[in-house]
Amino acid sequence: MSIEKTEELILNMGPQHPSMHGLFRMVVHLAGETVTNIEPKLGYLHRGMEKLAESRTYSQFIPYTDRLDYLASPHNNWAYVQTVEKLMGVEIPERAEYLRVIFGELARIASHQVCIASTALDMAGWSAWSYAFRDRERICDMYEMTAGSRLTVNIMRIGGMSAEPPEEFWPALQSFLDDTPEMLEEYYGIFFGNEIAMGRLKNVGILTKEMAENLSITGPVLRASGVDYDVRKADPYSIYDRFDFDVPVRTGCDSYDRTIIRMDEIVESIKIIKQAVRDIPGGPIMAKVPKVIKPPVGEVYHRVENPKGELGFYIVSDGTTKPTRLRIRPATFINLQMLPIVAKGWKIQDVVAIFATLDAVLGEVDK
Amino acid sequence: MENKVLSRYVDELASQVNGVVEESFGVLVLKVQATYIIEALTGAKNFPDVPCDFLHDLCGVDSGDHIEVVYQLSSLHGPQLLRVKATMDHENPVIDSATRIWEGANYLEREAYDMFGIKFKGHPNLKRIYMWDDFEGYPLRKDYVTEPIEVRNVVRTRIEGE
Repeated sequence: MSIEKTEELILNMGPQHPSMHGLFRMVVHLAGETVTNIEPKLGYLHRGMEKLAESRTYSQFIPYTDRLDYLASPHNNWAYVQTVEKLMGVEIPERAEYLRVIFGELARIASHQVCIASTALDMAGWSAWSYAFRDRERICDMYEMTAGSRLTVNIMRIGGMSAEPPEEFWPALQSFLDDTPEMLEEYYGIFFGNEIAMGRLKNVGILTKEMAENLSITGPVLRASGVDYDVRKADPYSIYDRFDFDVPVRTGCDSYDRTIIRMDEIVESIKIIKQAVRDIPGGPIMAKVPKVIKPPVGEVYHRVENPKGELGFYIVSDGTTKPTRLRIRPATFINLQMLPIVAKGWKIQDVVAIFATLDAVLGEVDK
Repeated sequence: MENKVLSRYVDELASQVNGVVEESFGVLVLKVQATYIIEALTGAKNFPDVPCDFLHDLCGVDSGDHIEVVYQLSSLHGPQLLRVKATMDHENPVIDSATRIWEGANYLEREAYDMFGIKFKGHPNLKRIYMWDDFEGYPLRKDYVTEPIEVRNVVRTRIEGE
């Protein structure tokens, strides 16, 4: 007797799961091995950052921003301190601006390396993972030289930078920049140029341009869908208008382009850092800011191009030392909305790959 | 220059939806009543030369005597930014959902509901997103009490041999 009845299978992936990049749970509805629906369940890492901010002073909140997207912590510091500076009308010294660009772009490279590594790892590409992490160590070393910590660096202050990079930082940076083209070739050679990797990623999880615009997707995921949009070009903040760089755009709309575009972005970041190192002036790294940060009454919104998308801060101030409302616009939280839509109809192993190419960091998703 | 064009359109839109236009740090702010929000957002989305057609962010704000929903609109075709604020009653905040204009409003509205208790009419799946389902209260409201509540003091007795 043959039974031809199929039954929907509900599979819980996470919160503790090797491919979930943190504490993330999704309930996957399956027909056989094909995904019919996904319900992401968030909040396992929710620390109430926005509520915490209301009882901290403006300076006290800087270390908290490290814990948002902890793979690119200087970038989160940057977004936050720039928002407060905009609110207070502080002009920061030239040297500090250049140092911010250098650390911001280093963070972008480190973050993209983790994305490349974990995408490979999620498809059992162990060796590609170790290559990318080996190279990321060098960026962590540069953080350590300057700020003393390797992951949550807390390197920026309202009005400038916390520390001047030591002597040995510059040769380390130079040798890292020189080695990067070879590194990228290695990643490509060991994994992404591989036929199996291409088979797993190419034409999988199509996110069209219209869908991306409608779903408020930002960052590399948006640019891999053929939209030429980068805040650094469209609405330049800091000193990005002084550098000559391109915005990589790919039109594949699939998992492969969402990963490979990060390699293109590393090349552009290298260009920016090289120009910044060439042009960096001397001088102080901190502006004269009052001891007690007391912005005027008002509200300000500021967005920057985080490695994972647009990170925005919206601060409402009532003129006291603590913000009335501090809103964080987390890029990957919004990008995550595409997962149930895009993964529908694919097999369960493709869901893992699609999720990896989103480069979600749960510290930022759950705030 | 572009800002002048945008400013003209925003003024026109404001007169249609009974709104007030302000400016804060170079960004135009359009304040409307919650009942006009769909008209305001669709109007902004369809500005001829400077469309504000990308929902950048959506969040709730508790200003003490009323609750606001703040929409940050931008565009993938230019640098324009527009902030739309919808004001609601503090006791029973209800507003139309923006999900029928932008699908991307889905999670953002769930978050605003979770944190402020704002009810979005027409939302496909209005459930808490960060807190657990039977959580009581809305944490980001100013009247939320942050002292530990009794429910959390679960006494766990040690079982012999554990």
